[in-house]
This record gives sequence, structure tokens and C-alpha cells, in this order.
Amino acid sequence: MTNTTSTDRHLALENSRVQLALSLEEVTKSYQGTPPVHALSEVSLSVEHGEFLGIVGASGSGKSTLLHVIGTLSRPTTGSVYINGWPTDGMSDAELSGLRAKHVGFVFQEFFLLSGLSAVENVANGLLYSGIGITERLDRSKQMLERVGLGHRLTHKPSEMSGGEQQRVAVARALVHEPSFVLADEPTGNLDSVSTDALMRLFYELNTEGTTIILITHDREVAEQFPRRVELKDGRIEFDSAYAGAS
Amino acid sequence: MSGKPVKLRSRLSFGDTLRVAVTGPRSRKLRSALSTLGITIGIAALVGVLGLSSSGSADLIRELDALGTNLLTIEKGESFGSNDAKLPTDSVRRIARIKPVYEVASVSKIPGGVYRNDRVDLGRTQGLTIFAADLNLLEAQRGIVADGIFLNEQLAEFPAVVLGSVAAERLGVREVTGNQSIWIENNWFVVVGVLEALPLAADLDRGAIIGHAAAARFLDEEYEPDVIYVRAFPEHILDVRSVMSATVNPEKPEEVEVSRASDVLEARAAAQSTFTNLFLGLGIVALIVGGIGIANVMVIAVIERRNEIGLRRALGATRFHIAVQFLVESLFLSGAGGVAGVFLGIVVTVVYALIQGWTVVVPSYAIIGGILSSFVIGGVAGLYPSLRAAGMSPTEALRTR
Repeated sequence: MTNTTSTDRHLALENSRVQLALSLEEVTKSYQGTPPVHALSEVSLSVEHGEFLGIVGASGSGKSTLLHVIGTLSRPTTGSVYINGWPTDGMSDAELSGLRAKHVGFVFQEFFLLSGLSAVENVANGLLYSGIGITERLDRSKQMLERVGLGHRLTHKPSEMSGGEQQRVAVARALVHEPSFVLADEPTGNLDSVSTDALMRLFYELNTEGTTIILITHDREVAEQFPRRVELKDGRIEFDSAYAGAS
Repeated sequence: MSGKPVKLRSRLSFGDTLRVAVTGPRSRKLRSALSTLGITIGIAALVGVLGLSSSGSADLIRELDALGTNLLTIEKGESFGSNDAKLPTDSVRRIARIKPVYEVASVSKIPGGVYRNDRVDLGRTQGLTIFAADLNLLEAQRGIVADGIFLNEQLAEFPAVVLGSVAAERLGVREVTGNQSIWIENNWFVVVGVLEALPLAADLDRGAIIGHAAAARFLDEEYEPDVIYVRAFPEHILDVRSVMSATVNPEKPEEVEVSRASDVLEARAAAQSTFTNLFLGLGIVALIVGGIGIANVMVIAVIERRNEIGLRRALGATRFHIAVQFLVESLFLSGAGGVAGVFLGIVVTVVYALIQGWTVVVPSYAIIGGILSSFVIGGVAGLYPSLRAAGMSPTEALRTR
């Protein structure tokens, strides 16, 4: 994990990154056009293992772009992204895919469960591209579904479950490969208030058990409860409760 | 820490690839079944046509083998003179001198009617002909006696008659009892035998065949051959044919017409293969249409399942995994259609061949070729959609509308 040819500063930086689940260094994302659109401007962000981070912002604040960059679904124009210490600069598309398969767990607003598959098969898809055999995939998926309180719904199809239950299945899918962090994009956006509360409780429980969670939302009320809150506006970090008072 | 990470690799085993590829069609069963229909029909047409033509021609070939292609039929031809052309009376003896010839049988047509009994009005001959035949006619034709016996030396001198298959039917003779007589030119002839159809000499099927001696004795006919059937060793058949006219009538060889009866059957086989080619062409058109159908369904699937593609990319699938998933899905659809088509084609062949009384032959190249070509079509049809799916950016694919 050390690089003897690096300078001390670089070494220290590398070591510090190793401790982090996620590190963004002066990330900028621009889209071509006249004038060019800067969706993200010099965003720097560090997330340690075990943190529960909420990223809040109105629509158009760059939330989605940030989500895509954190999840390595798109590359920053400038700046660097480190996932669990892995520098993503210069990685091939296939390598980024491998990185996602092992280190990132996604939860989407629309759940994105495959309608033809049962709950346990959907969860097992979280391990599909990791090279683990089907038997172990299904075993671990069952355990994970039990952990999110759906042990009685293993063979149900998404259409036979409530929205709240479907989102729990999606959370189980995001967790089953034990990623460095779970990246949740408006996970409560399609849920009623009861399901929203239940899902948030689940996230807190999982966080207590050690899961690193990054949750993106436009809902300030939900965001108020986060242990660490980052506010995004016009592509810049306007507030980070970890450095309260910073502009 | 620096340098390329080596452990970061998405993997999808072969088994998982297949499993993933069938989840799509499995979730949309009706549409998948309909999309494979074109391939199924195309392959079924190909297998059915090849199977039926093989079964049919197998029977033709067997028939040809059984009847032999070495039978020459010699008849009188057109005459340039005023009088009718005739075959010389010693034709049989002359032909027998040709070395590769091993069987010569002559037949004389005798004018007159054949009636069921003496009360039938004259003229109502039912298209039947009286033949006086050599006793080895049956051998020369490789004919089979359906019931009773053929003429022998004794019967040839008596009013005894053997009926061709059509003649027996028209006269209402179903079995040979030995008591039944028919009325031939004011004479009663006892029916002693009925023949099976003679495919190489359909004329004889409509004939009442009596001996030359009986013809002379009861019908006052002198021996004069009208048709001579010749069997020669197959390897010399063409040579024999070329010398035949001059042998029979050295003075006027142009008045002798020589034909090879099996040519008709061979022409039938050739005509059949023309039809086979036509239907094969139609089958290939159906296959192409089926392939376009699959490509169409796959393009729609890629558009519809954009979110699934995005999800799979987020879960760690590489572009290659996505491409392979849709390609294998296309292969699966058309392969399933191909297997169903082969099965359907075999069923059609078996049913039709059994109805026709043919031996069932489904050539293995039709089965293997049918399945292989369905996979090739699936591959071609799936290529563009799968590349399109793989080329989608994950962020674009995850967008919802």
C-alpha cells in the first residue's frame, strides 16, 4: 500500500486516502456548449468508513452529476475521485465496472428491480458481476433480505410487494456485496411517509452496524437528521456540517 | 498503491451469462414466443421441404432401383412410306442376338373389345386393349402378380387371360376364383391372374393379356410384335440402345422407336427437385423475415430496457457483459425458434410421408443445418441491438422519463 518512490507528501496523501471510503479532490464537471455548463465546480469531499452523509440540494444544484461522479458512472472533467483508496483516474471502463461491482452499492429512487425475478434473485444481482458462484450469491442474498426485514418475502416478485418493500429489496441488493459505501439517490422519493420513516430507520440501523451511507436528497427535513450534512448549490459545496461554519 | 489495480475485474461466468440472457425473454413470454415464430416457420419450412423431398425421392429412387433403369421399349415409329410401319416378325430373335441383352419380351396389340360378359353392348370397351404377350413379359417388366398366376406354356394355348391392374378394376374382378370369365371378341376367356400396376408400361395396366397361341387359335391373329420390352445389362444399356434400331430393322431403322421407360421416372424426380428448390427459396425468405423480426424485437428491448442496462452497469457489468447479454438473448430467441422449427418440420414430414405411404426420411443435414442457421440468424440479428446497448452511457441509461 506504500509507494517508496513517492514524495513524503504524496505518501501521506495516499495513506490518508486509504482510510477513506470516498475522496473527491477538486472535482469539476463541465458540459460542452455555449456557454459551457459547469455542473460541478471544484468539489472536494472526504467520506470516512462508517459515516452517514446526506447531500442536500435543490434540483439543478448538481446533485445528479455528483451522484454519477461519486458512483464512477461518469468521469470528472478535472479533479480526482478515489474510491476506498483506488484512484479512478485513467481507469478503463472495464476497470471502473469492476470497481463498482466491489465497492459501490447503488439505491435508486425508482428501485430498478427486475420484474421477472424474485426478491432473492434481484438481491443476488448485486453479486452477479463479482465472480461469486450462484449458490453463495443466493445464500448471501437470503441473509441480506432477512437483515432488512424481508425474510418472509424471498420468492415474491416485485409486483407482489409494496413500494417500501421493493426499496428494501433494492437496499439489500446494494449491500449484499459489502461495498465501501452505499450511494442512495432520493431513495424515499417514491415512498409514502410511513415507508419513508421505515426506510430511514433501516438506513440508521445499517449505519450503526457499520455501513457507510451517502444519501442524496432534495428534502431538507430528511436531511436535517443526518449525522453529517453537505449542502450543494450551483455545483459547489455550500455547507458541510463536518466543517461547520465553512462557506 | 499507484499503478493499475489488478483485482478490479467484473466477472460473469458462462453459466451466469446464459442465466442472465434468458431472464429477459422469461419475463416477456408471449412477446418472446411471437418473435421466434418467424424463425420457427422458416426452419420448419426448410426441414419439412428437405424431409418431404428426401422421403419422396427416396421412394422414387427405391422404385427406380426395383424397376431398373435398364429396360428399353421398342415400338414402331413413323413411316415415310404409304404403308404403316411395322416391327419385323423376327425382331425378338434379332434383338436377342445383341450380347448384353438378357431378356426380350414382345407384345402384340389385338384389335377388339374386352367385356365383362356377352351382354355388354359392343363398343363399350372401357378403354381396354387385348394384348398377346410372350410368357416372359412379367420378368421383363419385373411385374408382380397380385392374385392368381401369370400365363404359362399350357395356359397360353387356352382361352385364359391375365388382367392388368386397371383392367381388373374396370371389369370388376377383385380376386381370381378360376370360375370367372370375360368376353373377348366372341370368346369366353377365364381370368387366371391379375397383375399389380406396372410403372414402366402403363399401357399393360389397361390390358387383357393372353398367349400368342390363344390369339392365333381363338382370335385368328397372326403373330406380329407391336411393342418389345428389352432388358440389358445396365452398364451396356446405352450401347444397346444405340444399335437397337438398326438391329430390329436394318432397312428402315427410322421406323423403329426406342425409349427408356425409366426416363419418365427420372424426369419426375427432376421435376420434384425443382419444386423443392422453389420451396427452399420460400423457406429462406421466411427465415430472413424471421431474422428481421428478432432484430426488431431486440432493438425495442434495448430501448425499453434502458434502465435495466443502466442498473447492470451500476452493478458492475462492463460494456462487453451488456453486449454479450443481448447477443446471447437474441441467439436464445432464434435458437429456440430454430429448435421448435426443426421439431415442427419433422412432425410435418412424418405426418405427410405417412399419409402418402412414403418411407420417412429426415436428412440429418436438414436438422443440423436448421439449428445452425437459426443461430447464425440470431447472431446477425442481435449484433446491432447488442452493440447499441453496450454503447449506452450508464448515466443516460439510468435516466427516467
